[in-house]
Amino acid sequence: MLEVEALRKSFYGTVAVDDVSFRVESGEILGFLGPNGAGKTTTMRMITGFLEPGSGKVTVDGIDAAARPKEARARIGYLPETLALYPEMRVREYVKFRAELCGVPRKMTKSRVDDALATCFVDDVAMKPIGNLSKGYRQRVGLAAALVHGPKVLVLDEPTVGLDPRQIVKVRELIRDLRKDHTILLSTHILPEVELVCDRVVIIDRGKIVATGTPETLRHQLTQAPGLAVGLKGEIPEADGILRQLPGVVHASRMGVGGETRVLLEADRGSDLRESVFRECVARGWTVLELSSRQATLEDVFVRLLAARDAEGAEKADDLPAAVEEGESRGEAR
Amino acid sequence: MKALLAILKREFLAYFFSPLAYVVLTAFLFINGYVFYAILLSLNSPETSRQELMALFFKNVFYWIFMMLVSSIVAMRLIAEERKSGSIEALLTAPVGEGTVVTGKFLGGFTFFIFLWLPTVLYPVALSRYGRIDFGPIASGYLGIALFGALFLAAGTFASSLTKNQIIAAIVSFVMILAIFLAGIFRELVTDPNLKEALSYLNLIEHMDDFARGIVDTRRIVYVLSTVVFFLLLSARALKGNKGK
Repeated sequence: MLEVEALRKSFYGTVAVDDVSFRVESGEILGFLGPNGAGKTTTMRMITGFLEPGSGKVTVDGIDAAARPKEARARIGYLPETLALYPEMRVREYVKFRAELCGVPRKMTKSRVDDALATCFVDDVAMKPIGNLSKGYRQRVGLAAALVHGPKVLVLDEPTVGLDPRQIVKVRELIRDLRKDHTILLSTHILPEVELVCDRVVIIDRGKIVATGTPETLRHQLTQAPGLAVGLKGEIPEADGILRQLPGVVHASRMGVGGETRVLLEADRGSDLRESVFRECVARGWTVLELSSRQATLEDVFVRLLAARDAEGAEKADDLPAAVEEGESRGEAR
Repeated sequence: MKALLAILKREFLAYFFSPLAYVVLTAFLFINGYVFYAILLSLNSPETSRQELMALFFKNVFYWIFMMLVSSIVAMRLIAEERKSGSIEALLTAPVGEGTVVTGKFLGGFTFFIFLWLPTVLYPVALSRYGRIDFGPIASGYLGIALFGALFLAAGTFASSLTKNQIIAAIVSFVMILAIFLAGIFRELVTDPNLKEALSYLNLIEHMDDFARGIVDTRRIVYVLSTVVFFLLLSARALKGNKGK
């Protein structure tokens, strides 16, 4: 439905997007994941025609966006990251304006506008000026405006950024509902969002794609087998050393917390440690308080990937998790 | 066409949500009213030769200052405002061409400009109660206002497409408009007869004198309309150029 081939863009000599290619299949939600400044917005702007690609090709529903830009744009609904709507316009007025702008036939305008307002749960504020709305409402008005002309593809740039937790849940639900009629490309720097909403993920960093796959396969491919957390009664300083000797364990770390010992084990791929760990503990006369397997999160995948890249680039990756959560201040090129 | 009308309507209505519009409207009516009154007074004095009041109204110095200033102020927000707020992104990713966007915005500003002048139609109507008025030259005078307004606003639209800053847009547009206005006056400074003749075609004061006297010369109309198209093409080009950045 949406195909991006070898997209490249640089701003004044700085490469922002470098050889990015991916496909979004019909009815799919593709998550476009990366830290701030990775090139997500630039890529999306090239897809939606706000920026001209330096090189490469964008195909929307079989239409080459460079050759037939208006037709391609008519098939895309775009929610920009800088959600700037006209504050003086009323919600209904604005959505109607977008419908007229995008060539919705006059007869259908009213029903389309009503549908879009209802779909995005903004019909209750239809007569309010956009400037008076909360961020969550404005985001949904933006979404209503993006889908009023019935586009096949929705491009949503950080749709949940700046919303409070309840609004985030609402917007995510909304996006999942939209998949019935739309193919969705969604960018975010929030990992749980991808796991919750997306079918497939493209991870991008510093303009380059570093990984592609479903959240599950990425987690599977890029991490070791699930780890194991062992809680033992009493302080046992030698516990990690002993457990590391067990076959299949690649790494063990220990923390002593108030009369308890906690050991985190990382296993070799495919080996199940639970039984051998339990027997070892019993044989040593340790009291097992907890034995639980830890599944690697996408967060781990992400940090690992970026760390690997950083190691190549001879940069330290220590602060990367923080950068992912709080947002790096590199700023997207505009 | 529908997209064009949608943009036109939005642009026109947007003026009324900004205090600027009301300030301009009030100042405009105040000064125009005063000028009208002043002309009326001076024509009433017995030493003054017999002249058409409205003709004077259309070609006095205030008229030109106002045309240039008001056009710059009306046009400055057209594109710069959206570039600043970022709403231009949603607009330019809609399935409409840059030409449509620019033309719609220009026409929205132009409609507001005409709206500013509408109340002055009351002056000749009021005059007609006290004497015989020839409405022909008045109609052509308003045609002149519309044409030169369009010319200046098109230049202003172009200036507005170059920057995110409305003040800069207003200054650039005022300078461009002044340059267009002065081009005709340079006629007095050159000696080359060919150049002199060429520049005289650009003399807006002379153009407006004609319109105020009721002479509608199609060459003037062609000059204005082609310049409007030229500036709108430049503006569309400027919007397109930003896509590379």
